[in-house]
Amino acid sequence: MSAKHKLSRRDFLKTASMGGLGALLAAQGLSLAAQDAVINIVSSGANITSDPVTFRWVDSGDQKAVFWNAFFAEYMEAHPNVSIQYDALPWNEIAQVVPLGIRNGTAHDVFQRPLSVTLAQAVNEGWLAALDDVIPDFENWKASFPGGVFVEGITGFNGKTYAFPATSNKRYGTHLLYNVAYLEEAGVDPQAGPMSADDFVATAKKVTENGAGRYFGFIMGGNQVNRWGAIVREFARMAGAISMGVGNFDVDLSTGEIPYTNPLYLEAIAVLLRLRDDGSVFPGTLSMNAPEARARMPQGAAGMILQGPWNIPIWLRENPDFDFNIAGQPLLDPPTLVPVTVGPGGSNEIQVNAAASDEAKAIAGDIFHYLGTYEGQVAWATLVGAADPAIFAEAIAAADMQPLERNALLMFNEQVRVGPSQIVRNPDTAAVNLELRPVTPNLAETVQGIYTGQIGDAAAALADLEGRADAELDRAIAAAVEKGAEVSRDDYVFPNWDPYQDYGEDKYAEL
Amino acid sequence: MTTIQIPLAKPVQHSRSLRQRIADNRWVYLFMLPSLILTLMFTLYPIFASFYYSLFQWSGFTSQPFYIGMQNFSEVIIDSQFYNAFRNSFIFMFCSVPIKLSLALIIAIVLNDRALRLAPIFRTMFFVPVVTTTAIVGIVMTFIMSPFNGPINMILLDLGLMGRPIDFFGDPKLALYSVVGVEIWKWLGIPMIYWLAALQTIPASLYEAAEVDGANWRHKFAYITVPLLKPFAVIIVLITAVGTLNVFALAMTLTGGGPYFASEVMEVYIYRTAFGAANSMTLPRIGYACAAAVYFGLSVMAVATLQLVGARWAQKERAGISAAETTAGGE
Repeated sequence: MSAKHKLSRRDFLKTASMGGLGALLAAQGLSLAAQDAVINIVSSGANITSDPVTFRWVDSGDQKAVFWNAFFAEYMEAHPNVSIQYDALPWNEIAQVVPLGIRNGTAHDVFQRPLSVTLAQAVNEGWLAALDDVIPDFENWKASFPGGVFVEGITGFNGKTYAFPATSNKRYGTHLLYNVAYLEEAGVDPQAGPMSADDFVATAKKVTENGAGRYFGFIMGGNQVNRWGAIVREFARMAGAISMGVGNFDVDLSTGEIPYTNPLYLEAIAVLLRLRDDGSVFPGTLSMNAPEARARMPQGAAGMILQGPWNIPIWLRENPDFDFNIAGQPLLDPPTLVPVTVGPGGSNEIQVNAAASDEAKAIAGDIFHYLGTYEGQVAWATLVGAADPAIFAEAIAAADMQPLERNALLMFNEQVRVGPSQIVRNPDTAAVNLELRPVTPNLAETVQGIYTGQIGDAAAALADLEGRADAELDRAIAAAVEKGAEVSRDDYVFPNWDPYQDYGEDKYAEL
Repeated sequence: MTTIQIPLAKPVQHSRSLRQRIADNRWVYLFMLPSLILTLMFTLYPIFASFYYSLFQWSGFTSQPFYIGMQNFSEVIIDSQFYNAFRNSFIFMFCSVPIKLSLALIIAIVLNDRALRLAPIFRTMFFVPVVTTTAIVGIVMTFIMSPFNGPINMILLDLGLMGRPIDFFGDPKLALYSVVGVEIWKWLGIPMIYWLAALQTIPASLYEAAEVDGANWRHKFAYITVPLLKPFAVIIVLITAVGTLNVFALAMTLTGGGPYFASEVMEVYIYRTAFGAANSMTLPRIGYACAAAVYFGLSVMAVATLQLVGARWAQKERAGISAAETTAGGE
């Protein structure tokens, strides 16, 4: 093991401690603690200017925007000289606005990195201020977070922290959300136990028959191509075809191989084809995106959708009369349920612009500090709910959260684990990400093509995809090596990966 | 009798230097300056910048693009998705232009009839989609043409023309042509205005003379309207053809190029390779997208060159017609 490797995970705290969330939630039961949702700003001791100042913040919005809109209003009331401009943008716009802003000196003071830009690249380009110098009482603040949130190689380099994962990433986006009345009418109760893929298909057919053209068994945003890949991938992963995302494809990090010729992928695709052939899929699914499909559910258009927890607060808020419930994603081979794996660290990483003014950095530090307090985490959990889970387990337990959202978090705690990361193991693999080109068609596009009948031989298409992804990973590694990176395909092999356990520091030490 | 002395125009002095001639016409150049600056900034610079960046491997994120010569061009030229998009763009053009221009001509001829008192109202109605935001049109059309409770499908089903709803944008065999249909409806007003302008250059006296000679509407159309519209038609066809190659907003909002690239036109392909990876963990390929854009730009330029040749031919034709009109007027 090289020194470089030791350094990369030096600060890697045991991610397993995140598992304490479940125990805590269970101890607290499902009862709601009566918490006041009012944001109570706690002073961080930051030296906030009294001069008029405009502070700018951009992130990907969604449910986070509910929190930030409420918080910033309170913050501006507490600091009348501070004017905050909050921009909630979709990721594809962030990918354009942030780099352009950095180049022409107009970037927001706090921003989310474009998804495809690694922390290493952003730090190397000088985009980011070290949070150590921005957040008051930084060491104590950082220590207040559970292990596994701040990870060398993911949130920091060379002992400095540059990114703050504002939320937990312990969730997945293809669990079952269903219309209670329709499934009751079909005689199915997903709460009775994990639903098999066969039951899922049969239920969709039954609901469609009951609907007689008025509603259908299943709906998805098929025009949003990534949905096809997400559903098939999670079907396969939960049945045992474990993998983590690399570039725009998947790698089984227990072997370092691309997993698409695993028969479970064909089985997963067959589920979608059976739904199609039964006529159980909502007409027009191919021409609507995920938010449109989501909006159709409360209108009674379909009985089931495989989506993420972000739907829950939206439906509760906008469609209070809609009687729905959630369950895990149906399983190809129950009771086999291999947990879904996510990367180390957290989600929704936010960073401070290195070129921001001192006044803006002080405000950013003050706000970041608030998110590291119990009060801030409770406020986050209360306002954002299961869509982007708060990090402090005790805050989730104490938050005034809807039972459905709490159930979702409990489910994720059972069904989601932290997987290995080649970047934690060897930060030089970030250079490979720089070289990786999108493999086209990717899994999602291939599945869509199979579903529409444009691809006739599914097995051949998956084998072709596997070959192209494999070649692309080799090519990107070779290109990175040529430019001086010390990487090899071995960095993508973690033989001791057990998907039922969080992959923590001890596992990296075993390599 | 009072005599008025009219000053004679200065004889053209070909021997004057370029600087002197510019100085003589300085106001003309001054008035042209704003549009010249804007053209330089937003037309010429992007063209040259596209070619420049096509020589680099660059994500747009890093400050240092990596020079790779013509590699992007050689990679684009063997990409089957590029040819698919290229083909779709030209299928789009060849389907849209004839239908759009024919419909627009028919509407223009009807609206040009002075007997039609409500012509301005109809003209406005046909032009309203043109001024409506393209993205809004795209989103609204996905509802109107939805296979579930979409009005068009409901009408088709109620009339018994179809046994089951049509998924206009979800069926890979129909998606591209459905976008063509919406595009025709959206932009029909532009060639209609062109045709109307062209029709209004035809002297009414010609029709009146033909009527005196016993010509019916078919004769008038074939022997007066068509010949006199020909010079305009060349320009209108070419302008419309080039415009039809630029359908990014509509294609993105209606299908996003799907399903499975069935309706991916060149602009969507360029966008996908430049920015479309923004939702994945791969970096955008600005250089590669620029190389594809250069190829596409060259093909559009070829069409535009035809336009130039056509414009010159039309100018000559118009000159001939004007001379004939003058002669006819003199007689």
